[in-house]
Amino acid sequence: MNHANVPVQILLPLFSIVIIAMILAARKKHLFIRRIQGLTAIDEAIGRATEMGRPMLCSIGLGSIDVPTLQALSITSYIIRNSARFNTRAIVPVADPQIFPVAEEAVREAYTVEGHPEQYNAEDVRFLSDRQFAFASAVSGILYREKVAASFLFGTFYAEALIFSETGQQVGAIQVAGTPSTTQIPFFIASCDYVIIGDEFYAASAYLSREPTLLGSIVGQDIAKALLLLVVIFGSLLVTFAPVLGAIFSAFLKGK
Amino acid sequence: MSALFKSVHGSAWWLHVAFVILFCVAVFAVLQLTPKQSRKYVIQLVTFIGGLFYALEFFLPIHAQVTAANAHGEGNFITPYMDVVSDWLTVIGAFTVGLGVINLSMVHTKRLAKGGNTAFNSAVFFVSAFAMMAIDILQKAHPNALNKNIYELLFSGALTTLDATMFSIIAFYIVSASYRAFRVRSTEATILLITAVVVMLGQIAVGQFITHKLPEVFHFESIREWILTLANTAAVRAIGFGLGIGSLAVALRIWLGLERGSYFDSQA
Repeated sequence: MNHANVPVQILLPLFSIVIIAMILAARKKHLFIRRIQGLTAIDEAIGRATEMGRPMLCSIGLGSIDVPTLQALSITSYIIRNSARFNTRAIVPVADPQIFPVAEEAVREAYTVEGHPEQYNAEDVRFLSDRQFAFASAVSGILYREKVAASFLFGTFYAEALIFSETGQQVGAIQVAGTPSTTQIPFFIASCDYVIIGDEFYAASAYLSREPTLLGSIVGQDIAKALLLLVVIFGSLLVTFAPVLGAIFSAFLKGK
Repeated sequence: MSALFKSVHGSAWWLHVAFVILFCVAVFAVLQLTPKQSRKYVIQLVTFIGGLFYALEFFLPIHAQVTAANAHGEGNFITPYMDVVSDWLTVIGAFTVGLGVINLSMVHTKRLAKGGNTAFNSAVFFVSAFAMMAIDILQKAHPNALNKNIYELLFSGALTTLDATMFSIIAFYIVSASYRAFRVRSTEATILLITAVVVMLGQIAVGQFITHKLPEVFHFESIREWILTLANTAAVRAIGFGLGIGSLAVALRIWLGLERGSYFDSQA
């Protein structure tokens, strides 16, 4: 089992306190976050699918019930709520049986919240396979057969990322992607129209919903990142100009 | 507390199973009868307790904890229960496998009944699923050479080969994706193209030959090494820091029931 060493015991609670403090502060004042092009493009993609009268594909990746997949589901929920207003069909392929009932419920809820529960089609939230490439081939099949106009790829992806995005390119779908899997980001950048990178993925639900609680957590994240950057700069300066102190600092960070 | 996690055998085992089934039915009934708005609080409470369990196990001070399986083990008073809780998660996860199969069967039954172009695919699904299931049960019940060979033919001969086929398609997709990415349309695309060419030349013998007469620092392989280990690693680590803290923020929001505006709840 992994356990926290001293630096982690200091930094993790510190970052948590900063994030929670900003969430509480955000309830009292208006906070600004910059424009994220990839997330703004979601509405454009929904609009395109609506104009063309073709369905959209919202993939939540290969993950199970974990933070990235829940975040992907949160973005999918937003997409479906917006598309429900225009009666645009959204297909949600699922690779993990554990996340399947959660996805079903989230999609049904999204249609209900928008006042269109009749648009929910149980067949559109599809469990395909928990085998990576069987899932990839099934999603590719859906992209071709349904001639999707917009493809949203959010969540944890592995080698199948390029299969999805290149197939999407071939059918002429507008593609918006975001993943915490750093190895797959270059593939998405090469194949998709819009990509959200790094922590923009976790900022998505705040950016899209504009809920004060979530905006506060984004500002908290930025402050925590700045603190982390200070630690990195401090450590680099120590290692460069005072090697002995740098070695002590390095040993402390490693928990030795 | 520790009595709850002890292994039992014989009639006590049946009693425990019966108790667990009754408990699950009771919890399910209570959740169904609870109004939707209140159900949210039950879910939040369970999420908080689950998160607290793992957080305490991770943060509380540890000491040597020697077990039969691990002579150099370390942990705190919660650590011995981690395996039990992991087993619970596995059992809960196993229930949902059935849900996936039911969904697949429902979708394909409807398509078969409807007929049309996709009915053939649905028929193939049922034939493949039942064939694989039947032969797997057979080879476990009667592990003779015939059953094992049929299983091997279906699993390694068909399924694994099809997986490999899908995987190999990626090679072609990489080419088409690279072609699009390397088209010189902007300053960024030009930098990307130059960097990619240098890295590729540094990787192959021809590239290394081109620069072999220059000082070592100008060799393609040296530049490639610098790009991969310094420039690229620095960028990936920066993304990693952001992802780590972003993940912490989302986890905190879910754990403390602060997640809003998605499928959880909207803020008043």
